[in-house]
Amino acid sequence: MKNHSTSRFKTFVSWLLKLAIVGGVVLAILMAYLDAQIREKFEGKRWALPAKVFARPLELYPSLVIKPKYLVQELDQIGYQRVPNVQTPGQYSYNGQEMDIFRRYVKLYDGDETAARIHIRFNNEVIDGLWLDGKPTTLARLEPLLIGGIYPKHNEDRQLIQLSEAPELLLKTLVAVEDRDFHHHFGISFKGIARAMVMNVQSGRLVQGGSTLTQQLVKNFFLTRERTLIRKATEALMALLVELHYSKNDILETYLNEVYLGQSGRRAIHGFGLASQFYFGKHIGNLTAPEIATLVGMVKGPSVYNPKRKPENAIARRNVVLNVMHEQGLISDYQLAVWEKRQLDVVQYSQYQRVEYPAFLDLVKRQLRSDYADSDLTSEGLRIYTSLDPIIQRSAEQAMSKRLAQLESGYRMPQDSLQGAIVVASTESGEVEAVVGDRNPRFFGFNRALDANRSIGSLAKPAVYLTALRSPQYHYITPLDDSEIKIASTNGHVWQPENYSKKSHGTLPLYQAMARSLNQATARLGLQVGLENIVKTFNDLGVKQHIPAYPSIVLGAFEMNPFDVAQMYQTIAASGFHTPLKTIRGVTTAKGELLSRYGYEVKQAIKTEPIYLLQKIMQQVVREGTARYLNTQFNESLNLAGKTGTSDSQRDSWFAGFSGDKLAVVWLGRDDNESMPLTGASGALRVWAQTFKDLPLKPLYPLPTENIVEQWVDVEQNALSSEGCDGAQLLPFIKDQLPLMSVDCANQSSTEKPWWSRIFN
Amino acid sequence: MKLIVIALLVALSGCSTNQYQSIDQSQIENHALAQLPNWYHDKLGLQLHGGNKYPQNGALKTLLQQADLEFIRGNFQACQILLERAQRISTREASVYVRLSYLFWLEGNIRGAEQMARRALALVVSDQITSEEVKRLLQAIQANQY
Repeated sequence: MKNHSTSRFKTFVSWLLKLAIVGGVVLAILMAYLDAQIREKFEGKRWALPAKVFARPLELYPSLVIKPKYLVQELDQIGYQRVPNVQTPGQYSYNGQEMDIFRRYVKLYDGDETAARIHIRFNNEVIDGLWLDGKPTTLARLEPLLIGGIYPKHNEDRQLIQLSEAPELLLKTLVAVEDRDFHHHFGISFKGIARAMVMNVQSGRLVQGGSTLTQQLVKNFFLTRERTLIRKATEALMALLVELHYSKNDILETYLNEVYLGQSGRRAIHGFGLASQFYFGKHIGNLTAPEIATLVGMVKGPSVYNPKRKPENAIARRNVVLNVMHEQGLISDYQLAVWEKRQLDVVQYSQYQRVEYPAFLDLVKRQLRSDYADSDLTSEGLRIYTSLDPIIQRSAEQAMSKRLAQLESGYRMPQDSLQGAIVVASTESGEVEAVVGDRNPRFFGFNRALDANRSIGSLAKPAVYLTALRSPQYHYITPLDDSEIKIASTNGHVWQPENYSKKSHGTLPLYQAMARSLNQATARLGLQVGLENIVKTFNDLGVKQHIPAYPSIVLGAFEMNPFDVAQMYQTIAASGFHTPLKTIRGVTTAKGELLSRYGYEVKQAIKTEPIYLLQKIMQQVVREGTARYLNTQFNESLNLAGKTGTSDSQRDSWFAGFSGDKLAVVWLGRDDNESMPLTGASGALRVWAQTFKDLPLKPLYPLPTENIVEQWVDVEQNALSSEGCDGAQLLPFIKDQLPLMSVDCANQSSTEKPWWSRIFN
Repeated sequence: MKLIVIALLVALSGCSTNQYQSIDQSQIENHALAQLPNWYHDKLGLQLHGGNKYPQNGALKTLLQQADLEFIRGNFQACQILLERAQRISTREASVYVRLSYLFWLEGNIRGAEQMARRALALVVSDQITSEEVKRLLQAIQANQY
């Protein structure tokens, strides 16, 4: 019996031993695996740093037209603090006439700008005096607004810091609150676990975790948030391994950069470096004790104790942390008493609490895609400098939302049924300055500016008239027939375009047919000049997509997106010089080394003379044609030019317009492609006007050449005339493309009107 | 010839000590750029022999002066960046495009140089003398010589 028992015991021990050996081997393999994981993460690149995208740096110079309120807005947005007396970088003061800005050190792709005091004197809305560090200057640049990031899938953002940058008080407070034995344990703290258990038992619920900072770091770095024993065991093992390989300082620095501290839209705020900028608008080294307490308090629950969203919770939690600081002898009785009563002082605006521009960022990403891999953009911390002008962008966004709401209520359309897109660019440099892709400009989704392919309607007409003006047979007043027209296609289908008014207008000069956007006259002209030639003109203007040579293309019965339309109109606005529209000026590494630059390119695509005439006609469109509403909103001396467009059944409302320096294309429509009670003039044109109403524009002066002449003509007779003759108008012509006939002014005057009529009329 | 010019420009870049101050005339006299045809320096291009006719606008003038200095030093990229800043301030300043044209020409980008010259030409048509000057530049580029 005894022998039997001994034998069973031996067998049990033997199995136990075998099991222990197998378990040991498995544990060793697991440890080796976890160790490799830890080393890979810690010794490789620890974090994927998203690319940071910046707007243009605002150039200030005497004679610059800028409303002071826009400058104030920009300074607020880049996180400058308005104070009565400027003392440190990042502050500004403004007294209604003069502004003092203490610029921070600025890193740009084309060199750095040192921290400096900029003094500006305004004369109404013009800068008429500029000083840099007390000396008169001709030029000063501000730091650019951070407009977004190109994040990895989990949208983590952080600003890396070194341990030496963090204040001693922050480190001590963090350790005191989160892990008092940090400097003594080996990854796991039994004392901490025991303390947590006591606290939890006492309060009857889970109020404290026993995780060390190392365990928290391991959990954030490698594991999920699930509460299982296996996960806890793995966490403990990994914490041991981390402590084995790395110093306490290394672990603490990694923790400071890794910890999650809140959310800003889709962007996750990680690390104390970014959090101090995001919540308090300052570098981590400049945090005050109550601010440190607020941030350390957030570690326990970044959403619950978010000082921006839940200030009461955050204050309560901060005061708990302040008490811990006091208990540890880090702050005095007096300091505790004062700071417990203090407000949170989180910043309303901060460079790091940015407004993002999804439609513009989308365009930036697409333009970068040819030169950079996605992984580079989301992990290397690249700095991307763009041409976005926040002042214009804001104006375009506000115009879109305000006007769409007005149009919907004015035309009794269902609320939120309209959508829209805007692209604004510099006419000459081709730099895109604003993009709106949705009536909600913060929406990250379908970008109508780039992806809404819609019929362009009459926006195609400039290409038809330009084709005519490029050929020697046509000039400014060539008579066009606006009678009804029917065109039969090879498949028997009959195309019969009609004017918007449903009326015909007989014969009228070329420039008026375009200014009044007459469909019948344009269709006839299109057929006369040849569809292939029109397609060629579209291509020369920069349209890359295939356009079939069907008759209906002359009235824009094909689809384009607003960005491509803007590209086409850029060539017209820049006097026939095509410049690819671009958003990016330069890209640097995180340290500021220039990686690539996107310079100015230009190509003369169309001769200057026909473009000159076309611009003149497009000015007529604004002066007395379909876009004359603009003349009621803007000074006539701006000589604005443009073209309205309305597609079949009024499904799309377009306006493309330009001044001497800005070009903007606006599209309005419905996502379900249903018709609306809007034309280009009653819809998109209004948004265009609203966008620029408050912005400085330069007048448009079409560029004549030596081949352009101003000639007195009799428009009705399609003949040359003379100054003073009846009905004579001074109009532009290409030297070799003049009307062939001339009228006898002397006879005409004496026979047609009596002398008293000529004097008194 | 172009290589010599570039080599001398680069060499000279090391000689200049005072940033954005006027260029030492004795250096200029011996500079390869001084061998360029006089017409280039008459009105729009870089004025090597003093008497620069920079635009009135102070910001524009500063940027063009800085661009010219970078050009002399052979820092073509910096020069181009400054010219593009100038272009943003005054989009119709022909001398910006003339300088860009010359820059591209020196870099061997003949097509780019020609297009910049054309852009300049479109802007100066009402000024006959200047217009002639740009036309000569254009012809020289097209003939690929100076």
